[in-house]
Amino acid sequence: MEAASIKAGTPTRRRSRDLSERRLAAYMVSPSLLLIALVAAYPIIYAVWLSLHEYSVRVAGLSRWAGFRNYSNILQDAEFWAAVKNTFIFTAASVTLETVIGMAMALAMHTAFRGQGLLRTVVLVPWAVLTVVTAMMWRTIFDPTLGVVNAVLGTDIVWLGESPHAMIVMIIADVWKTAPFMALLLLAGLQVIPGEIYEAAKVDGATMWQRFQKITLPLLMPALLVALIFRTLDALRIFDLPFVLTKGAHGTNTLSLEAYQTFTANNIIGAGAALAVITFIIVMIVSFLYIRFVGGNIRGLAEES
Amino acid sequence: MATTATGVTEPGTAVEATTRKRKAATGPKTPWWVWLAVAAIVVFCLAPFYWLINVSLKTGPDLSGSAVVPPNPTLDNYESIFKNDDFVKALGNSAIVSLSVTVLALLVGSFCAYALARLKFPAKFWLLALILSITTFPPIAIATPIFRLWSDMPFGLPDLFNTKIGLIIPYLTFALPLAIYILVSFFKEIPKDLEEAALVDGATRFQAFRKVVIPLAAPGLATAGILTFIFAWNEFLLAVTLTSTPKARTVPAAIAFFTGSTEFEEPLGTISAASVVISVPLIFLVLFFQKRIVAGLTAGAVKG
Amino acid sequence: MSKRLVFLLCAALACAVLVAACGDDDDGGGGGSAGTEETGATEGVQAVDPKSMDGAKGEVTYCSGKDTSGDLKETIEEFNKANPGLTVKLVEFPEDAQQQHDQFVQRQKAKSGDCDGFEEDVVWTAEFASQKWLMDMTPYIETRKDDFIASTLETVTFDGKNFGAPRVSDAGIMYYRTDQVKEFPGTWQELYQQAADNDGIVYQGSAYEGLTVDYLELAFAAGGSVISEDGTKSTIDSPENLKALKFMADGVKSGAAPKAVTTMTEEPARRAWEAGKATFMRNWSYCYALSQEAPKVKGKFDVAPYPEFEGGGKAAVLGGHNMVISVYSKNPGGMLKFIDYATSTERISKNAAKYSKTPTIGASYDDAAVKKAMPFADALRQGVENAKSRPVSPVYPQISEAIFKNVNAALSGSMSPEEALKKADSDINEALQTF
Repeated sequence: MEAASIKAGTPTRRRSRDLSERRLAAYMVSPSLLLIALVAAYPIIYAVWLSLHEYSVRVAGLSRWAGFRNYSNILQDAEFWAAVKNTFIFTAASVTLETVIGMAMALAMHTAFRGQGLLRTVVLVPWAVLTVVTAMMWRTIFDPTLGVVNAVLGTDIVWLGESPHAMIVMIIADVWKTAPFMALLLLAGLQVIPGEIYEAAKVDGATMWQRFQKITLPLLMPALLVALIFRTLDALRIFDLPFVLTKGAHGTNTLSLEAYQTFTANNIIGAGAALAVITFIIVMIVSFLYIRFVGGNIRGLAEES
Repeated sequence: MATTATGVTEPGTAVEATTRKRKAATGPKTPWWVWLAVAAIVVFCLAPFYWLINVSLKTGPDLSGSAVVPPNPTLDNYESIFKNDDFVKALGNSAIVSLSVTVLALLVGSFCAYALARLKFPAKFWLLALILSITTFPPIAIATPIFRLWSDMPFGLPDLFNTKIGLIIPYLTFALPLAIYILVSFFKEIPKDLEEAALVDGATRFQAFRKVVIPLAAPGLATAGILTFIFAWNEFLLAVTLTSTPKARTVPAAIAFFTGSTEFEEPLGTISAASVVISVPLIFLVLFFQKRIVAGLTAGAVKG
Repeated sequence: MSKRLVFLLCAALACAVLVAACGDDDDGGGGGSAGTEETGATEGVQAVDPKSMDGAKGEVTYCSGKDTSGDLKETIEEFNKANPGLTVKLVEFPEDAQQQHDQFVQRQKAKSGDCDGFEEDVVWTAEFASQKWLMDMTPYIETRKDDFIASTLETVTFDGKNFGAPRVSDAGIMYYRTDQVKEFPGTWQELYQQAADNDGIVYQGSAYEGLTVDYLELAFAAGGSVISEDGTKSTIDSPENLKALKFMADGVKSGAAPKAVTTMTEEPARRAWEAGKATFMRNWSYCYALSQEAPKVKGKFDVAPYPEFEGGGKAAVLGGHNMVISVYSKNPGGMLKFIDYATSTERISKNAAKYSKTPTIGASYDDAAVKKAMPFADALRQGVENAKSRPVSPVYPQISEAIFKNVNAALSGSMSPEEALKKADSDINEALQTF
């Protein structure tokens, strides 16, 4: 009651402030929104439109409405589900390894404080190399006759010619490229944790592992989650690596690659667009699940500070 | 986020302070196994890159071999790529495109981030979700529609196919999510009191943004800037789809045009040399800015 | 506000479903076609009038994969010099064949006149012509039919019309080490035996178009085929094809071909050969000049056309490029004039003599300069004349994928040859059903 009367006392000032804030917000947000609408929204809407039709490969200009037929065909296609499986296996393995290795690297870099600047730069080198070049590099390294791996191991495994070896090479290439990036993000997170907490824990007799479990991990969670979500979304859409390494053969066909093969190489526009849209939906679902169950920080970011 | 007695906190110094304290507490001795781990990290990161350099110093039949050290090291590959006018032009294009994208992303992104971080307006959560959802788009779905749009612009606008602007616009859009995300986290770190003080002094919201927040957000801007630059510099699919001549082609696309003397020959030597050359600016950039990056990423992590 | 949004989305979705349920529109005509059969798929496509060459002027753009040898650049230079008033500009696409395909397709889909002409791979004619992206060149080709080698003309024929002019041909040949092979084998079976006794054979066995070529070379020699004459059914699951596939797969198992072939394309095969690690290599003619500079094989090798397949015959698969004109070109007359020059006998002979480009014109093989530059010209000519085309169909990319995916699986042992052919059969039939 009192609050209401107090509020009632200054309605105009607050409202005009709110309005001017909203107007400013509109101006500040609109360039981004415009770009997103033009460059991101339009292609997706266009892709959805295409996916609801069938475009003849044999007769030029012939097209017909297909409704959800493209989608139902895809969902019944064994190759599609194989691509889904491969994509998820790749994502799970890569992201897990990247996180574990990245964490180990971050911890080591955190402790060795001499030459940290140089170390951080070295660590970003894999991230700086073009993905296509990375793929070419690893393909050479794993070449069955002339590559270094077979020479060192003394084997003659045709790495990119068998499954699951091809997937293993793909995972190694991706982990090499992104574990350092994860390490950097985690290092940043580590450096915020005040040293006193560790001191206090040591005094209380906590072992290294206990310190890691009870102090490091929880305090590192926010940084970890940020890194995880961006990496997971990237891994689900991976294209460059399998395209250069194997063109999708031997169990490395991913969703993006399958969409490319159908849409561009085979020129089956409707089904290809449907694949792109399905990929998009799957990735959206995963990010939704992340935010819902693992937390993420969207709510936190959206809240007033 | 703590405020000191004077009511001011510099985000960067929090990190420095903690580091210094830690150094004093643990002393200068680091266990031997940490150095071993560091050595392992260096080998892990640099070995394949060394292999790239190794190949770039070989030519001819040597390329068919697997020697770990080039038997006849030569700078021929480097010479030939710099003699290649198309490649040099591509370097220029990449520089222009990446710099423009970075500057614009910081500009546009910081506006949007500030609005999200400070201003009151409806549907913030959905806006953030929308922006983040851009990162879920498969690149395939984007390339062809944009190609068609750029090749045949409506309303009599000039065609943007095979132009640098035609690349800058999509790159900018896809760089925004990460940039906005980092900047929002960062802006939230900055104490509101400073802006309040400016507002009380008669500044408009926008002036407060320009004169108070932006300078304090330098590390965040540096982080977002570097990541954006690296993204634009290395982007491949759109570069190949949206350009057709050296006029607008960037380096990743130019590498796809490297050839040997036949249509099948894969000139590993020159490709490797080119890859080394284009990684070098990135490495220097990172070396120069890496302190800022860490501070920038830190701030995001704390609040998040 | 969020609830409203969700509601709107659901409503939109429901509407879409309703519309879909209301049935489709027209049904398209189907059926594939062998090149010479008339299916009407390209009905109404504009034909280029040879007379439009006279007095053609302005600028035309020719799009091609990167001109690595320089023959195309020289051709354009000479043409521009001899034709003031008409200029040809070259736009180069990436080296990778798939990327060249995609770049051209992009432009045609966008109805862009960017490329007046295009240097297409021989297997793309049906695909592009059925989409009505190519101009009908029959009137022009009719005037020069006898110049070109018959097999090369097959690759520009679709729906009973000609859609391009063959500029460069290619047929695979067998390279072999003269210090290890005393007498070149008369059959494939003997060849593999000799390979097993020495250092093996390398070829293109990776899961890509190159494997389709290599496999079909054996399959055609064994007497098999891929699709029926009318192009509506798959004929790949046949005893002849099975024989060929078993032969290939056994070759890998027994060690006649190293396991690594399943990841080899042209270049890795050439590198293994040049490193002295193989007795035989199946590859295109371009390796000849390069191998002459490789210290480990220099002076120790020769080339020969393919041997016979026991119980079958000899076969080769035709490669190469044709010059085509885009229907969106604003100056087809000018483009045709350039094509006329670029595929003239003297130009093609010059390209052969100077750049080792396999001629599409019979007379070139008799040219003295050509014979001098390419000592294996006769073997090459035999290869080209006897070469068969890969299946002519608008859905060729899918057919090829069906072949190379399954053959590769058989070679690497993850499928038995019987299973592989059955799967290829069903994949191809599915592809032929494409709308």
